[in-house]
Amino acid sequence: MTSSSDAPNEGANGNGHTGRYYGQGIPYLPLDSYPGKLIAVEGTDGVGRSTQIQLLREWLEIKGYGVIETGWTRSELMQPTIELAKSSNTLNKLTFVLLYATDFADRLEKEIIPALKAGFVVLSDRYIFTALARAGVRGVDRQWLRNLYGFAIAPHMVFYLNIDVKTLIGRVLESRGMDFWESGMDLKHGDDIYDSFRAYQQKLLKEYASMGDEFQFRTLDARRPIDRIQDELRRQVAAFLEPAEKSVEPAVKV
Amino acid sequence: MTFSLLHATDFADRLLYKIIPPLKAGMIVLADRYAYTAFARDATRGVDRQWVRELYSFAVRPDLALYFRVPIDVSVDRLMARRIKLKFYEAGMDLGWSANPLESFRLFQGKVLDEYDELVQEFGMEVVDARGSITEQQRLVRSVITQHLNLNHVEMTDDELV
Repeated sequence: MTSSSDAPNEGANGNGHTGRYYGQGIPYLPLDSYPGKLIAVEGTDGVGRSTQIQLLREWLEIKGYGVIETGWTRSELMQPTIELAKSSNTLNKLTFVLLYATDFADRLEKEIIPALKAGFVVLSDRYIFTALARAGVRGVDRQWLRNLYGFAIAPHMVFYLNIDVKTLIGRVLESRGMDFWESGMDLKHGDDIYDSFRAYQQKLLKEYASMGDEFQFRTLDARRPIDRIQDELRRQVAAFLEPAEKSVEPAVKV
Repeated sequence: MTFSLLHATDFADRLLYKIIPPLKAGMIVLADRYAYTAFARDATRGVDRQWVRELYSFAVRPDLALYFRVPIDVSVDRLMARRIKLKFYEAGMDLGWSANPLESFRLFQGKVLDEYDELVQEFGMEVVDARGSITEQQRLVRSVITQHLNLNHVEMTDDELV
């Protein structure tokens, strides 16, 4: 069961290598053998990412790992700018994409890479795939997008929380309701937020699914109960982290 | 990276609001700096050259690109004559090459100028010798632009006839 989900690059990463950049990378930040691990949890709005990450974090910390979380538009540099731009109605799909990319670049350089150098497990609530999906749906050239995000590090593991649009609608309505951007209202499918949400999220889910092979997603069925999903996450994360830990563990026990 | 991406965002915004609409209306758009500045500055800051070019592939290719070339010493002298304080990023102080702003400016802008020389070849920019007097430069610029506009005008008329 474990071997079936092994990603091709897992072997090399298990030896303490951070892996690789997707594209040209950042020439002035070569990826040497950083001890940290980067784990991304992806999925559309309201799918339960944050809940899973919170549980995973607690579990990892109990096991003794240093954990750092990073999430979309959370950079110190860009968060105020993005909020301001979103409210000003002057954003178009290109500037939207570039603002997100700037936010991501800031977090990569200032949070993610330093944490990996210091040996942390970095849990990323969304990664570049959300940006690729949202922009792809809005008609931005996919090749250009992949090149743009060529400075991103390939995570050691990418979990994708998969859901169908009907279940998603139920969940979102039960919790915080539908919001303007998550409903793709900027795409002007119509004034009805429900219809717009449904059409937009349907397209997003399709876009995510189409990236599964390209970026080696480990797809989890997000319709299951929270603890079932968490068990599966922990099982896969443990299988990945523990081989690398084995050499250390005996010394700790003595 | 963030420096590069923020500039690209600003550029995309100006492109879509300030450049493309007047072009569609048949107007002449004069751009004080263009993507070439980013190519030169970002490469000097260690960003991948190919990546920056592909990043800016959404930019409209100018019909004419003028490069005012000046040796670094002349550039420094002119700036010093006019103001005392060099801007932090303009002097490349973020790179930590020198704690002295003037020295840092010289090192950084010297490398930027080297990058520009490469760009002149790559993009076929028209070089204007910026050591000359303002009048000399302006006359040269006018003659280059006159030639260019006349040429384009003929092409446009042809298109309309067809």
